[in-house]
Amino acid sequence: MNVVIVLGHPSANSYCTAIFEAIIRALEDGRQHNVSAIRLADENFVTAMSRDERVSYETAQPLICAETQRHAQLVKQADALVFVYPTWWSGLPAQLKGWLERVFVLDVAFRFNEKNKIRPALQNIRHIIGVSTYGSPWRYVKLVNDNGRRTLTRAIRASTGLRTRTMWRGIYALDTCSAADREKFIADTTRKIVKRLSKDAQR
Amino acid sequence: MKTLVIYVHPVENSFNSAVRDAVISGLTSAQHEIRLRDLYAENFNPFLSAAERGLHHTPPSTRPELARDVEDLRWCEAIVFVYPTWWAGLPAMLKGWIDRTWMNEVAWVLPAGANTIRPRLTNITRLVAVTTHGSSKLVNALQGEPGKRIISRSIRVMCNRWCRARWISLYGLDKSTPEKRKHHLDTVGRRVVHALR
Repeated sequence: MNVVIVLGHPSANSYCTAIFEAIIRALEDGRQHNVSAIRLADENFVTAMSRDERVSYETAQPLICAETQRHAQLVKQADALVFVYPTWWSGLPAQLKGWLERVFVLDVAFRFNEKNKIRPALQNIRHIIGVSTYGSPWRYVKLVNDNGRRTLTRAIRASTGLRTRTMWRGIYALDTCSAADREKFIADTTRKIVKRLSKDAQR
Repeated sequence: MKTLVIYVHPVENSFNSAVRDAVISGLTSAQHEIRLRDLYAENFNPFLSAAERGLHHTPPSTRPELARDVEDLRWCEAIVFVYPTWWAGLPAMLKGWIDRTWMNEVAWVLPAGANTIRPRLTNITRLVAVTTHGSSKLVNALQGEPGKRIISRSIRVMCNRWCRARWISLYGLDKSTPEKRKHHLDTVGRRVVHALR
């Protein structure tokens, strides 16, 4: 199974990055999966859609940068998308949001049918998995709404096939979590993700 | 009212720029004091780097490049956001502005031992989002309006306890008629002024 895994945290020594690396290691272990890791900050991925990109967004050739072309190719061949990011202001970090805006364009995420209606183009994606760290406790996250989760499991999910499954893993009130909690979260999360994807790969 | 207008769109003659002009003229005729920020024109960098993330719990003086934004936030009584909704939410440029400038001691403080932050922007009593959606209201409702809730909930709780958030949006822009667009431009200034009352 082709897995594209995206990291939305800028620091290499963050807990988020530790989760990200642990998932990659676990997925590569079984040799069932072909993992493509995208570390947005390491790649110096440009956060905001530029003027020229916005103008070409409306045309048939919306991918005008080498970095977005390469990522779009990976997304088109992927069976699973995994996002690992910190929730900031109840949403995606700007760089990850920018990745969606710049890469998920015409012929990647959607296309137009003969009646000129928008149709999903990500039917190759069978799994959307989100892993996020939250500074706030679970109740607070639910109260202000988990907007990053909604963006990925509803807005992006709508561009995939009908049978696409989603999975969400969150660690809440991170500032007051002990080292043992964090270790356990990484172990549980990697186990569950490997189980979900390996089961599907065997079919 | 001291009003900070945050405008985000990369293309100079976009529909959103016309909305911005209508909003500004409405606010001017109602004699509000305005500061306009055009994040794309200013070349604002929306990327919160690892180095800056390391300053998360430090005072704003450690980030002198954002001094103007901090000053604007502490000055204003209302913020009007004018932006296009992309992938159901705020454009990365605007999300990045919030990520970087709503910082420790400006927007919030974290008391020792607590795990929820406390508001500091008590000077802000109105938040207004003026946005356009390519898709219909139904599609946005099914997606849960993540962008709307970042403004009406997530950042509003860092403002004054009585702060009101207002949502002024044009849905279905992709299929809208010229009349519908004109109607939006004709009324949006008045609606923003009404939201600031």
